[in-house]
Amino acid sequence: MLSRVAGAPTAALARLASTQATPALSSEAPKGMGKTGTPFLNTSSAGEYAVARLDDVMNMAQRTSIWPLTFGLACCAVEMMHFAAPRYDMDRYGVVFRASPRQCDLIFVAGTVTNKMAPALRRVYDQMPEAKWVISMGSCANGGGYYHYAYSVLRGADRVIPVDIYVPGCPPTAEALLYGVLQLQKKIKRKREAQLWYRR
Amino acid sequence: YQMGVKELLGLDKLAKLATTVQKIGGLRAALKQRYLMDVTRTGTLVGEDKFGNKYFEDNSYFMPRNRWVVYPDRVWLDYDATQVAPEWHRWLHHISDETPTTNPPKNEKWVLTHEENSSIFPDKKYTPYATGRTKIQGWKPQ
Repeated sequence: MLSRVAGAPTAALARLASTQATPALSSEAPKGMGKTGTPFLNTSSAGEYAVARLDDVMNMAQRTSIWPLTFGLACCAVEMMHFAAPRYDMDRYGVVFRASPRQCDLIFVAGTVTNKMAPALRRVYDQMPEAKWVISMGSCANGGGYYHYAYSVLRGADRVIPVDIYVPGCPPTAEALLYGVLQLQKKIKRKREAQLWYRR
Repeated sequence: YQMGVKELLGLDKLAKLATTVQKIGGLRAALKQRYLMDVTRTGTLVGEDKFGNKYFEDNSYFMPRNRWVVYPDRVWLDYDATQVAPEWHRWLHHISDETPTTNPPKNEKWVLTHEENSSIFPDKKYTPYATGRTKIQGWKPQ
C-alpha cells in the first residue's frame, strides 16, 4: 500500500510526459498472431505458447457471453433497462439478464446500496459461480454519492464486494454502462489464468 | 411503391451487396471489414483526424447510424470509443453538422493532446493518493 502511495506521483508525472509527446503514428496492421487480437504475444516457450492460446479461447468464451444479474436498486436501474432495450441492445454483446445468481457471471450494482441491502448484496454475490465480475453503476454504488453522509447508506458497494468497473454518473447513461461492459470485456481479454497455473 | 420482379426476388439487394463490396475494394477488404467492424457498408469519406481515424457518412441509413468511424489498422481489434478525437466527437454524435475540416477548432496552447481512456491498464491507470496531512498517528510495533 505504501509503495503504491509513493509510486503514484511519479506515475502521474510519467503520464503527463506521455501526453505531451507526439504519438508515433503508423497505420500498419499487426502481423501473425496479433491479427487475432490476443494480448499474449511474448511467449518464450512452446508450453507457454500453448497455454496462452488456451487462455485466449477461455477469455473469448467468457467475454462474449457475460450474463449479468440485475441488481437494480434505484433510478440507475432505469438506465440499466435502457441498456437492455432495443436502442442499445446489450444482447448483441452476449450480455443477457438472468434472474438467478447461480447462472450469472456479472452483477450490475445499479443504485444506492443501503445498510439493510448490504448483507443481501454480499449473499447474492457469494451465490454467483466463480469467474465473476462486478460493475458498480452510478455515484451511489461507487462511493455513496448523494447519500454519502446518510445514516443508513453504505458508502460504496466496494465496501462489501470487490468491484471491477466503476461507471460514474448520476445516473450514468445507458451508453456509459455499455462502455463499462466493453471495458470489462477488455479486462477479461487480459486474464491469464492458464498461464499463471502453468508458471506455478 | 410498385414492386417489380427484381424486388420480389430480392435481386436488388444482391445487386446492392455487389456494388458495396466493389466500393469497399473487393471481397478480401469486405471480409476484413466484417472481421473488424461486423458490418458491410460504405459511405462518403467526410474527413480524417490526426490519429488516422476516418469518418464516414451515408444518409441512406437512419439517423444515429448514418455516421461512423473507421479506426486505423494500427489499433486493429483494440479500438475504443475514446480514440475518437474530441473535435470529431461533436460531428459523430450529431451535436453539430459541421466537421472540423469545414470549421476547424481553435488550437489553444493549453489544450493537451487527446488520449484514449487508459483507466483499465494497470500501468497507466490513476491511483489516488493523499496530499494532505494524515488525521491518524501510526505507531511502530516493537
